[in-house]
Amino acid sequence: MKLDYVLFGFGILFCLSGVGYLAAQYVQFLSEAGKLLSLLLTVGMFAFLSKYFEDIGW
Amino acid sequence: MATKRRNLFLYLTLACFFGLIAIFIVDGYMGIYDTVYITAGEREQKIEPDTWQRQDKFWSAGVNRGEKVFFRYEVANRQFSSYTADIEVSAWRMQEKVRDLAAEPIAIAAFDEGQVEWVIDATELLPEDIPPEQSYEFTVIIKRGEIERNIIVRINPVPYQVKPAPVPPR
Repeated sequence: MKLDYVLFGFGILFCLSGVGYLAAQYVQFLSEAGKLLSLLLTVGMFAFLSKYFEDIGW
Repeated sequence: MATKRRNLFLYLTLACFFGLIAIFIVDGYMGIYDTVYITAGEREQKIEPDTWQRQDKFWSAGVNRGEKVFFRYEVANRQFSSYTADIEVSAWRMQEKVRDLAAEPIAIAAFDEGQVEWVIDATELLPEDIPPEQSYEFTVIIKRGEIERNIIVRINPVPYQVKPAPVPPR
């Protein structure tokens, strides 16, 4: 059971690093408006995710 | 009611995430991207498309006297439609055109690449009255439709050579 969580953790880490790498590669090609909109959406995403976790009792 | 509210936050999170992905695809990947490769001596320089987007209007490259500079201009069409443009390349000095270097139309299919190549002989562009110890600069202007890319090419001076002092007669 514990091994499952370790594997899940590794999976999540690899996903995040992959998405982070791709974002770092492509963010340089974004226009200024695109960068601003991406920033706003990122803030919104984390804010809504936080509210979701708050509601389920984390 | 609480479940609905909770799900709403989850959907909004997902909407933001997919919005981000959409921006990266539409704004970051799609479009026309040009890359310049400059080979002078044994070194190749690559001017990435984001260089021009950062408002760096000029890029400089150096070449030694008597050598040639090889240029390769690559245009990547990351669109669903084909792309056509006239590429005009010329050398400029003091706001005056010195020479036309290349001029050809390109037609690139969707999600394909096209390229134009030309060579500059530093000897040909160097005026005769420039002494060897003096450097000389000119600008290569690449025009693709309305878009203009400027590259300053510097012809390096000949390194100063110390002449041995004459041996005084005995």
